[in-house]
Formats: sequence, C-alpha cells, structure tokens
Amino acid sequence: MKIFCIFIVSAIFFGSYSICSANQAHVGIVKSAVGEVMVLRNNLAIKAETNAKLLEGDLIQTGPNGKVGLIFEDDAVISMGPNTKIVIEKFMFQPAEKKMSFIARIIQGTASFLSGQLVKLAPDLVRIETPYATVGMRGTHVLIKVD
Amino acid sequence: MHTLLRLAFSLVLIVLLNGCAKKTMVALVPDPDGKTGRITVANQAGSTAIESPYNVAIISDKNKQSPPVHMGKEAIESIFSDALSIQPKRPIHFILYFEKDIVLTSDSIKLMTDILTAIKEQGATDISVVGHADTVGSKELNFTLSKNRADSIRDWLVEKGINLSYINTTSHGKENPLIKTEDNVNEPRNRRVEVVIR
Repeated sequence: MKIFCIFIVSAIFFGSYSICSANQAHVGIVKSAVGEVMVLRNNLAIKAETNAKLLEGDLIQTGPNGKVGLIFEDDAVISMGPNTKIVIEKFMFQPAEKKMSFIARIIQGTASFLSGQLVKLAPDLVRIETPYATVGMRGTHVLIKVD
Repeated sequence: MHTLLRLAFSLVLIVLLNGCAKKTMVALVPDPDGKTGRITVANQAGSTAIESPYNVAIISDKNKQSPPVHMGKEAIESIFSDALSIQPKRPIHFILYFEKDIVLTSDSIKLMTDILTAIKEQGATDISVVGHADTVGSKELNFTLSKNRADSIRDWLVEKGINLSYINTTSHGKENPLIKTEDNVNEPRNRRVEVVIR
C-alpha cells in the first residue's frame, strides 16, 4: 500500500512537472492543419490546431485523411501528408550563444522539408533521420517517403 | 505436422517479403525559388551525395547504399502531392531602423505598408517583433529602449487592424547586434526592430 502511495504521488509529481515544462521556448508553430492531426507530448495526445506551438521532443502525427504544415523558428518548413509520423528530436536556434541544431526523425509517411537559417549557419548540425539512413542537409528542399 | 511446417514456412516468407518491401525514399527537388541544394544520404554502408534535382535515393537496408536514380518531376510530385499541397510559405523578414529613441528612419516608415501587405498575403497568425539597440549607454537603458521600439511597432500594427494575439514582442537590448561593435558605439544599423511574419 505504501509503495502504491509513493507511486501515485510520484505520478502526480512527474505529471505536473511535465505540464510545467510546457513553458519551455517553442520551436515552431502549426501553420495549417487538415483532417486528423495530433501532437504527442509527454505521453499525451493533443489535437493540433492552427497556430499551436511546437516544442522540442514533440511527435506530430497525421491520420489517414490528415495533413499539416509546420513553420520553425529558423524559417525551416516541414509539411506532412497522411499517415505520417515525425519527431522533433532536437531544435536549438540561438546563434548568439552558438547553440544550434535541428534533428527531425521521420518514422513513416510522406514529408517535405524546406531548410531554414540553421542549414546556412550550421549545416553539419542539421539532419533528418529515417529508418535506414540519415539525410544531411546542405539546403534546400527534400522530399522523404518512409513505408 | 507437414501442414504446420508449411504454414510456418509461408508465415516466414510473408514477414521476409514485407520486410523487403519496406523502404525509404529521399528525393532532392528545387526549392520554391527554383534553386536546388545538395543533400547526403548516409548509413552503415557509407554516404551518397545527391546534387541534381529530381534525383532520388531508395534505401531498404541500413547496411546498403545504391546510387541515386533520376525520377520524373511529375512522378515525384504525385507521390508527395498531399504534403506539397499544404506546404506553408517561408516566413518573411523585415528590418526597421531608428534615428533615435522610437523615431523610425524615413526609409523604414515607407517599409511599414509592405509589412502590412506581407501579413495579409501570408495569412500570418504568428508575427515576431524583436527590438534591438546599439551599445551606447547601460545595459538597462538599452533593454528599455529596445522594448519601447518593439512596443511602438506592435502598437502601430494593432492600430492598423492586426490581431494583438498574433504578435509576440521581445527585446534584446544591446546583446544581439547586427554589426558587432565595442561598447558605447553609435551604430545606426544596430538601432532596429526585426519583424518576422509567419
């Protein structure tokens, strides 16, 4: 019983902690969404509305009739077709502090990637991970399909 | 027993075939301005560069690489038609310069109408207004100055009918100059507000 209580308390603690972490700086926005589009954050699925803010670590997922367009803080653009899953593994855009990186991972589906300022400033720190290969970007427009 | 074995064999075959069918396709295409960049596709087997538009790498094993193949524009665009149909336009940037305090230069005043036009054409719902100052004076003074600059541009946009909730203002004081200078340097190009329209 005691252990169970500890479990409940820590679940509440970590639960509220992860909600608080939503205060972290956003890395991009949902510019347009059609059909079923979800953002998975801290094990919670949130319906992605137009203008919703995206955070590092978010998994964006479209349903069979869904599609979505995202804009990132460095001006990069990602758009996704139906049945697509992409994780924003890492995003840092603080050139003054030399903190720069953009790593996105496509798990499945179809997506279009238009590079932004990070590719110009730190090309070696921008990449898209796919199940069988890593795509390094030297600009500018890449289409990726993962079965 | 014989039938069971046969069943097991077919199951293995199905799994294998499905495994083989899974692949990743990476296509380099021109960006909306017509320029084509360069990408590399790397895995355990090495790294392949793709440099020509509509060239495609198809990978079905992280231990294998094959040379890129050319695929037609139409064929590629039909595979990605849904993703391309919702691709947002890249954000548009403006820099407004100040004579002093919150007084815009005459060239920057002329830019203001272009900003309004861009917001409307882009259907923008996320507008960043970032204030900056040159290095003349204290850190605190310049923070306030850069904040006043950003606020003045925000207020003008709101007056012109832009929804306040679409605008984020931030102030960088003298910490983020466009032109790096020593402290206490009068540099007109650092007295500015940057506007990003998404």
